[in-house]
Amino acid sequence: MITRIGASAVSAVRASRELWMVFVSTIAGLLRRRSAPRGELARQLHAIGNKSLLFIAVTLGFIGMVMTYQACLQLGKVTGDYTRVGSQFLRLIVSDFGPTLTAMMLATRVGAGIAAELGSMKVTEQIDALRMSGVLPIDYLIVPRFVACVIMTLVLTIAGSLVMFAAGGLTATVSFGVNPQTFFDLGAVRPRHLIMLAVKAGAYGAAIPVVAGFCGLRARGSSEGVGWATTAAVIGSSFSVIILDFVISAGALWVTGGDL
Amino acid sequence: MTAFVEWRGITKSFGAAPVLRGMDLAVTRGEVMFIIGTSGVGKSVTIKLLVGLLRADAGEIYFDGSRVDHLPESALAPIRKRVGMVFQSSTLFDSMTLAENVALPLRKHHRLSQKAALVSARERLAQVYMADYADRYPADLSDGMRKRAAIARTLTLDPDVVLFDEPTTGLDPVSARRIDRLIRELADRSKVTCIVVSHDLPSIFGIADRIAFLYQGKVHALASPAALRASPDPVVQQFIGGLSTGPMETPGF
Amino acid sequence: MITAVGAGVLRIAEQVGGIVVLAGHVLRALVSLRAPRLDGRELVKNLYKMGNRSVPIVMLTAFFAGGLMMLQSGPFVKQFQADALAGWGAGYAVLREIGPILIALMFSGRVGANNTAELATMTVTEQLDGLRALAIDPVRFLIVPRVLAMVVTLVALTVIGDAIALAGASVVGHFLLGIEWSTLYYSFVDNLEPYDFLHGVQKAVAFGAAIAVTSCFFGVSVRGGAVGVGRAVNAAVVAAAVSIMLLDFFLTFLLA
Repeated sequence: MITRIGASAVSAVRASRELWMVFVSTIAGLLRRRSAPRGELARQLHAIGNKSLLFIAVTLGFIGMVMTYQACLQLGKVTGDYTRVGSQFLRLIVSDFGPTLTAMMLATRVGAGIAAELGSMKVTEQIDALRMSGVLPIDYLIVPRFVACVIMTLVLTIAGSLVMFAAGGLTATVSFGVNPQTFFDLGAVRPRHLIMLAVKAGAYGAAIPVVAGFCGLRARGSSEGVGWATTAAVIGSSFSVIILDFVISAGALWVTGGDL
Repeated sequence: MTAFVEWRGITKSFGAAPVLRGMDLAVTRGEVMFIIGTSGVGKSVTIKLLVGLLRADAGEIYFDGSRVDHLPESALAPIRKRVGMVFQSSTLFDSMTLAENVALPLRKHHRLSQKAALVSARERLAQVYMADYADRYPADLSDGMRKRAAIARTLTLDPDVVLFDEPTTGLDPVSARRIDRLIRELADRSKVTCIVVSHDLPSIFGIADRIAFLYQGKVHALASPAALRASPDPVVQQFIGGLSTGPMETPGF
Repeated sequence: MITAVGAGVLRIAEQVGGIVVLAGHVLRALVSLRAPRLDGRELVKNLYKMGNRSVPIVMLTAFFAGGLMMLQSGPFVKQFQADALAGWGAGYAVLREIGPILIALMFSGRVGANNTAELATMTVTEQLDGLRALAIDPVRFLIVPRVLAMVVTLVALTVIGDAIALAGASVVGHFLLGIEWSTLYYSFVDNLEPYDFLHGVQKAVAFGAAIAVTSCFFGVSVRGGAVGVGRAVNAAVVAAAVSIMLLDFFLTFLLA
């Protein structure tokens, strides 16, 4: 029992060190700025960004409607005053739900995609072939995905937040008769909330490709190994989004002295 | 003699590529029939059609006097209990030990309890000389051992016909001859009809009663091993001689 | 452009169709009177495996989700000097929405993805054909027990997860927002109704079934080796996420 816990602790420490090394090498590769083929960044921007847009819009749109509905339902029971629903909803979207839910969705789509792709390359020895031809797999494979994912997480967060707010507005006006002008009120959003959105989107966008790339490069065996790697990438990147959200939100609370 | 298993005018294409083009073959009860030919000629397709894992585009398939090719999935279970299949990749379930693998059909079809099924599974593994490995997982074993366990699993249903899909491909020569011996024993002692897909020459000429040589989507030659060896047909001679040049047309070369 | 959109729509329609057909097979197997409805051993094995695998990650997720909701309702509480309402916003959001959704998403990532990987590997190595050749119906033997096990596991996880999320909310409320334990306790008890909890649990039943059927579908319909297995897992988690959000929408209005 104790040896088992010890063994899993050792492997957890080793894995986190490897994960950290992937992150450091990615940053180093980013600073060296070479070896990724031309057009690769554009291809990744398209694969990660454009191809996720519909998925993000649909999922965030629906959850925006649901959240507004639940909030109005509860407010209706207590006060019946819907005047601040829109502005507060927007504040919550900007400071938390927008970036976090977008990133949760991207963790499943993009995280799994990166791990599946790199994992298949690993088990079919294509990664070894890259090494043999003198190319660093991290520079060649992870750096362009990293850059594309950071950029696109921010872009998709903004798009997703807008869809979410609009869908919420639709629900509030149609189901609860809230005046659209009352709902679409930008008053509660302050600059610090926008900074929060940018910080969170940046952190998630960086975490997803690093965690997923790490999982993909660790794949072993054949089809079974790729399956494991993809599963690990989904769970690893989703969970890092939640942890980062918690850390950043708590940090912001501390910095602003309790006034988010 | 009437045919026990018969394919009549079978056509099957994958996309635009025709594989079988009006193939006919009849197998009599109790014989060891080898279906041979180059890769991609449709040997595995032929046997998978019989148990309904693939569907023919045209033609008829008969088993023990009744037509089976048009049966829906739900009606195929009785056929599949009488016609066992040993796959090229063994298809043992990785999450189960060998004994559990063999016990599964016993438990499902003979309504044995898990305990009784496991006891019976060990006996059946002993028949293929695998009793010592009953508690190991498939991933820990060599290809030849997995193949033997897969044969034991197939035999649990006491089938009348067993289909072997390239049973010796990828095995070392010693393991391959052991599999050959198992197939021969099956036909001689248990009177089971064996249909073997293969391009392994020692095994073909070692244990076959009759050989069907598939070429260009049809049975090109059907003969005993001795007669096939003596055949004047240049295509047959190229195949059994393993020559790279000759009249044989193979795609892409 | 238009052909690309058309092809995409066709592919989605094909997948939705396949998922519905598979769901039909599972339902038919469950209600049929023919003896072996499902394999009991497989059910027990999967329940154990799935629960074991997902409990730690789901519990951690629930704890942080609860904490996050409390963090987000913090400003309101401060603004109105209304500590007594702290549990209201956080608890309501957790029980009805955030709890079931986040738990289902993590469950899909852990158990659903793993299930797809397992079935996909079995499919590409012909183990499913192996079952058919032994006259064993793969739907009844492999899929029905997995679907049942996933629904049961997700409901259980949601019930436990709700409690842990409220604990997470309390911990954050006490240590980061400085609210008294007793105030937190009464704000939960006074403002939350049993139906809020039930609302989330009902959703968990639907989410579990959706995750199970989509993950099985993408597992058994895989094409082409290791690359195919990775793609199948990817497609399964995406489809599960979309179905969770869609179901959440419809169920929210249906159950109110």
